[in-house]
This record gives sequence, C-alpha cells and structure tokens, in this order.
Amino acid sequence: MSETSAQEFLRKAAVKSADLVHRDIIRQGIESYDAAHLRGRLRFRDWDAARQKCREIKQEAINHLDKYLLQFEEKVRARGGHVFWAANAQEACQYVTDIARRLGVRTVVKSKSMVTEEIHLSPALEKLDIKVWETDLGEFIVQLRNEPPYHIVTPAMHLNRAQIADLFHEKLGERIPGNDPTKLVALARRRLRQSFFSAEMGISGANFIVADSGVIAISTNEGNGRLCTSVPRIHVVVTGIEKVLPRLEDLAVFWPVLATSGTGQAITTYSTLIGGPRQAGEADGPDEFHVVLVDNGRSRLLADAEQREVLHCIRCGACLNTCPVYRSVGGHTYGTTYQGPIGSVLTPHLAGLRQYQHLSYASSLCGACTSVCPVKIDLHHHLLHNRRNAVNSRGSKLGERMMFRLWRSTMLHPRIFVFLSSAGRRLLRLLYRMGLAGSIVDPMRAWNRYRSPVPLPAESFRSRWRKGLAG
Amino acid sequence: MPVENPSRELILERIRAGLRTPVAPHPGPRSDAVIFEPIRNPLERFQQESTANLMECTLTSDLAGAALQLGKILDSLPAGEIFLQDDPSLRRLIELTKTQRPLRWSSEGAPREASEATVSLAEALIAQTGSVLVTAECGGRGASIVAPCHIVYAHAAQLVPDLETALGNLFRSGKLVRNSFACVISGSSRTADIEKILVQGAHGPRRLAVILQTGR
Amino acid sequence: MPRKVTLFVPCYVDQLLPEVAADTVRVLRRIGCEVEFPENQTCCGQPAFNTGYWNDARPCAERFVRVFGGAEVVVCPSGSCTTMVRTFYPELLSSSPLRDDAIELGRHTFELSEFLVKIAGVTELGATFPHTVTYHASCHGLRELKLRDEPLELLRKVKGLKLLELSRSEECCGFGGTFATKFADISVAMGNSKAECVAATGAEFVTAIDSSCLLHLEGVLRKRGKAAKTIHLAGILAQEKP
Repeated sequence: MSETSAQEFLRKAAVKSADLVHRDIIRQGIESYDAAHLRGRLRFRDWDAARQKCREIKQEAINHLDKYLLQFEEKVRARGGHVFWAANAQEACQYVTDIARRLGVRTVVKSKSMVTEEIHLSPALEKLDIKVWETDLGEFIVQLRNEPPYHIVTPAMHLNRAQIADLFHEKLGERIPGNDPTKLVALARRRLRQSFFSAEMGISGANFIVADSGVIAISTNEGNGRLCTSVPRIHVVVTGIEKVLPRLEDLAVFWPVLATSGTGQAITTYSTLIGGPRQAGEADGPDEFHVVLVDNGRSRLLADAEQREVLHCIRCGACLNTCPVYRSVGGHTYGTTYQGPIGSVLTPHLAGLRQYQHLSYASSLCGACTSVCPVKIDLHHHLLHNRRNAVNSRGSKLGERMMFRLWRSTMLHPRIFVFLSSAGRRLLRLLYRMGLAGSIVDPMRAWNRYRSPVPLPAESFRSRWRKGLAG
Repeated sequence: MPVENPSRELILERIRAGLRTPVAPHPGPRSDAVIFEPIRNPLERFQQESTANLMECTLTSDLAGAALQLGKILDSLPAGEIFLQDDPSLRRLIELTKTQRPLRWSSEGAPREASEATVSLAEALIAQTGSVLVTAECGGRGASIVAPCHIVYAHAAQLVPDLETALGNLFRSGKLVRNSFACVISGSSRTADIEKILVQGAHGPRRLAVILQTGR
Repeated sequence: MPRKVTLFVPCYVDQLLPEVAADTVRVLRRIGCEVEFPENQTCCGQPAFNTGYWNDARPCAERFVRVFGGAEVVVCPSGSCTTMVRTFYPELLSSSPLRDDAIELGRHTFELSEFLVKIAGVTELGATFPHTVTYHASCHGLRELKLRDEPLELLRKVKGLKLLELSRSEECCGFGGTFATKFADISVAMGNSKAECVAATGAEFVTAIDSSCLLHLEGVLRKRGKAAKTIHLAGILAQEKP
C-alpha cells in the first residue's frame, strides 16, 4: 500500500525535527527575518490599525468579488488584453499551453508565482518541449534541484551558500570561489539574462488585482518580474480570483504591509502595475497580454462563510516564519504548495479535507500565526474548524471516535471520572514501578516514550479537599 | 482572438451563490486610525529613505548642475550605449553633458540589452518610501530595468509626501487608462535569497541615481 | 474585591498535580478569599473540542455551565482551561440553550494571575522563594487572554526571587494537547528548543501559568537530564517564609 499524505508527513517530520543542521539554517534565516520584521513594524505609527484596514478592504473585495472581477476584466479588455476564467488547474494550464502552441513558444521565463505551482503549469509546458526558466533566484535554485519551493516567499531558505555554490558548480559548470553570495548572484544573473532576451513568453503571478484601474500588481526585489513582463512578446498572468483589491489607492497600505510582513522592507523594490500589452506610442512591452483568473477551489472556500476570510491571504509568509511547527519540520515536509499555517488551513479546501486533514492537527494551536497575520485571518481557530469538519465528515479513526465517546460518558459522571482516574493512577504506578513506563503495555506510551513519565500522586486534589483542605 | 470561456459564467455564478451567506464584520479598532506618521518635510524624508534604499540622490539647483551630475555618472560607467526617454528636457540635458557616447532614444524602440545606462524622467517622487514612480511614458518598461544603471532626472516639485497621494494622483490623472505600465521603484535591484544576505544588482540595475533639481 | 471565589481545577491538575490546586487555594485564602470547590466538576471539554469532537465536547461544556453557573467569580490555575470557557464556549454552544449563560460565565471566569492582578488588585502576596526563576509565557494565556505582564508582576514581588529573562519566551513549548502525542516528534523538538532556552538562562526553575506546558517541559527536561525544575506560578506564590 502506498504511503498516505499523513504518513508521509509524519515520516518526514520525524526526520526533519531531529535534523539539527536544518534547524540551524532555518533558525538563522528566520532570526534575521524576525529582526527586520520587528524594525519594519515600527515604521508604522499604528501597525494594528494597518492590519485592520487591510482586513476591511479585503473583506469588502471578497464580499463583492463578482463585481470587482468584472470591473477588472472590462478595463483590461479596453487596453487590448485578454482575460480567461479557469475553473480548475487543467483549464488554466490548457489555456496557457494553447497560447504557447499557437505562437510557437520555445522558451518561457517565469517570475515567482505560487498559483502556477498550485496548478503545475511548468510540467504542462515542459511536456510540449518548452524550456521553462524560473527567474527568481530562490526559485531558480530549487528548480535546479528539482524541488518545490521550500517557502512561499523565500523558496531556497533551507540551503546555505555552500550548498548553492555546489549546486551551481554541478548544474551550471562554474565554481564560485569562497561561495561568495555576490558572485553566486552574478552567475545566476548572467545565466538568466540570456533567457530573458530569448524567451517568447513571460509568465508571472499577481500579488494583487486592482479592480478600479484594471491592473495587476507584482512585487519583486530582483527585477526579474520586471524583465519577464517587459521583454518577451507575450505576457501571461496566472492568478487566483481572490487577489482583488477594489481601488488603486488600497495599495498605499497593502504594499507596505506586504513588504513588512514578507521581508521586513518598507516597500518591495519594484512595485509594478501592468494593465495590458504595449499601447500605441509606448516604447516597448509585449504584443499580447493574458490574465488567467484561477478558481480551483476558491469559490468553494468562499461558500464557507465561517472560513471565507481565508481568501484574504496575501501570501506574505509571516505565518510560516513565526510558526514553531514550520520552524521544526521545514517547508518540504508539508507536501503541499502552500506550507505552514496558511497551507494547513487552505490546502484541505483546495485539495480535499480527507487527504489533508492531518495538517490541521499538526499544530499546537499556539496562535502565533494569527498574531502576525497582516490581514488578521483567525488562522489557528480555522485549524480547529477544519478538525471539527474532519470529525463531522467521519474522517477520524474509529478508535479515536470511540475513545472520545467514552471520555464524554466519563466526564458527564463525576463518580465514574473519579473512579477511573484513581484506578488508572494505581495501575500506572504499578507498571512504572516495574520499569514499564513508555513500553508497549503503557497506556501513556505516546506521551512517556519521549518524555519522563507523568507524575502519579497517591491522592487527587478533590480527595485532599474532602479530607480537610476544605477547612 | 476570442476564446470560448464557459467557466466564466460558472465561476461568477458560484461566487454569487457563495456570497448569499453574509459574514459579520470583524471586531477591531476603527480603521480610520492614523496608520503612518504624517510626513513633515518631504524633501528631507525622500533623501533619508532613498539613501536607506541604497539609491544615489543628488540635489542640484539648476539645469547646468543637473547636467554636470549626469556627466559625472556617465563618466563613471563603462563605454557603451545610453538609452534615454525621448523628452525635450532630457535632450537639453544630455546635450549639456557633451557626451560622446552612442545614444538611443525611446522613440526608436526598446532599450538594447547591452545598454550601459538608461535615463528617464519620473511621474513623481514619493517621500514616504524614497521611491520613484514611473509609467510607460517614462521611456517604456525597459527604461528602468534593462541596464545596470538607471538615472532619473526629477524636479523637487514632483515630490509627493506618500504612497496614498502618489497613487491617488496616478488614478485621477487617467494615466493608467492610457499606459499599460507603472512602477514604484524603491532602490536598486536586490536579492536576499541566499542566507538572507543582501546582494545588490540581481536582474535589474545595480545603481539607481536620482538627480533632483530644486530650482528652475 | 470578591470575597467568595469558586475554584475550577482542570481535570488533569486534579488527578496528576493536586499540589498546584492546593497552592491555588492557599494563595486565594491568603488574600482573604473564601474558596469553594464544587466537587461535581469534571472537565471543561477542551480535549475533545481541540481534537474536533465538538459533539462530544458540547455536553461537557453544558454540564460545566450548569455546575459553575451560579458562581460570582470562578478562578482557575490555567490559562488554557480559562480560554476554553471564555473564548470557545460561545462558539461551541452557539446554538445551545445555555449559550447566554456560557457567555456570562466566561465574563466571570479568570485565570489565577489575571484574577489576582486585575480583579483583586493584589500583586504583593507575601511570598518568599529564594531561587532563580525564568518565566515561559503559555500560549493560551498570552494570545487568547492577553496576559503578558500579570504573571511577571506577581513574580517580581516575590521575596528572594531572581527573575531571569527567557529568550523566545513567547514561542510555544510544543505541548498543544493531543498534538503532544499525535505529533510527538515535532512536539518534543519544540520542547527541546524551549529547554535549550531555559538552560541558557541558568535558572533553577522555570514557571508558567499552565501545568500542561510544564508537564511537557518537565518531561523533556528530565529526559535530557537538564537541571531546571518546573513549578507552577501558584507553587511559587504559595511559598511563605520557612
């Protein structure tokens, strides 16, 4: 029998959480992020008001999603752009591969887009013998390693410079002395520059879709997103339908908030707006401009009023960075496009609760994610909702269901509770005296295997209360 | 070329059906609270922020000073073609530098890949973030990204205090209706994808220089 | 200040850590409270609620509301169980006839340090604890109940106690209820991370407002052979001059 997603998660989690080299790389990366994020927040007079404002804007956008998407579409069409609505991954990929086939595309340059990862666009293009270059440095690195992104914002966070230098040596045939990051970046720049200027098609995501102006907004620091959308003859945007903002001016708060939460910057270096192909009188730009609006489960999530706000997510990665589980197991353990708390909340909606419910349980519910979310998504409470939904749809194991039924009967009858608890303590004391704590016969094995055994007092509090503590 | 798109109506219908169940607004502080400190001195703030963004910002009082500065920057660059936004003010400026370099104007098309520098105007300068706002009218898309050095010639009157003003002006001016592109540029191209170490000059310009003229 | 206080003792504290509850009683009495303990209390329902078994948790929650319903003030030596009542009962019982009673009960249910500082207005409890101590901010107390300073205020007033700052004190220790057993590897990795921070302070004791975190941390610390001992906040506050 093949391994389920849940088994795979457990197996990889066990390996990664014991991998101290991995832990140190992640810790170092996240500690520098933490410091920058903290400094970044101080640039706001009122960070919490900014979060609240973002939340309200996104709520308004999602509450009128149909209206805003149509407004966006109309404005893009007015500039000669095309808008395609894809119900699922297959339709989205089909549309893009059709354009590529029609126009004889041989090379594609891509800037970072999680939606294209979600719909597996690159493999679909590669099937047509099209060479696809990831041009964000982090994405380029993981592409060379044949790996999915480790993190939605910093895809190669799990690698140190020595590993990257080795990779470049192996794949690009050039050795960078001293693993100097500046020279590593320069090597990637040289390599990718050829691709930018030979590619017929550039593919990007969109951080935002702005309804009143009919433009998409892309934030990149490297400028790769700029080149992908300026140089090739065709520009295809692939984005989720939930990325809408009603007004251009909304970016005045969203750009700083996204940059602060994503990297701690005041604003991302290139905050770009694109609304169509090259217009009459413009010096350059693509001849064709396509926007693929991807649903792929989002409208289903929208129908769930309790969790609708999950669509507010701006993919900043703050919840991943702060999550102690993510820090322990790393991005690849999740086996999903979106990792960390937002991934655990979102993936069951996009890819099926049954297969991905375990992710909602893989959390201590500490709430660190919710406390940093820039659009105030109640992330850890949604993990609770997913758990409830999993149980209600009979997704849990029979043994566990019976255990909780028994637990309930016990807790509804204090006498049974007292009797069973005290009998249990006595039994365990006996077992532990025999040195069987954590062994296969220990009912508390799942706890005691990894920890010193729980204390087992002779008397409970209530019994002491009755015997005199009551005063 | 129109493509059949049956999912369009399907998705819209699903959205409308989903929205029939409303959600209550989230409790929290009033959203009209002041989010950013008001900008008291835009010029000073722009200089601070642009420096923090690793931009070069030089103040000059007049056109001659601007030409001097532009000449200095061009002299520091390797030999090669310079791409310029085709605008009368830049034609005047470059003439004053007496540069012998090959020039290419945006009216002749996109900048060549091997351009050593691009020179453009800006739509606005944004004090809050130390940024330059450009649109396609500023020499096109490539004019601010293709070469290793991007030089912006701007006037202090173009300074706006914050992003909100800049975006509001951009929207009201109708420029986005005509232009297919705009960009708020806040520094040189950079990456921190390797061990979070900041490296300048990833895919775009390593250098972003603003020549800011304060007088006429 | 309320005179009469009804004690809510988390079920596992009752059965496994009775001293924590006894210490809570001592502290409350010392400031002049009359302590009641409804002996028919069991569990607030959190284990089932957190695992997704809301239909099993609900009757327990309803029972809890009935048992504690008449109380003027309920005090609990756990941020987590207080959170269950105050934060989650309104949602869990949203269509129960006891919904309004539950919301009302939540308003009168307090975690111990919260009660002492915010309700009773007392920080000086005459406690003596001549040891070095570091404080771990348990997640539910910190992020659901917003208790950041209350426990520290109390600790600062304890005679002889030297408070040592814990790095990453607001990061979860890895307990997380059934998470601790369902994902033991991750839970223990998080616990180890916390244990390292505790060890780095050199403190003799690590304290918190939740015994569940401490139980997990103690288990991890002892397995690692680390020197620091765990003690519930109530345990420190209950210590008087020897």
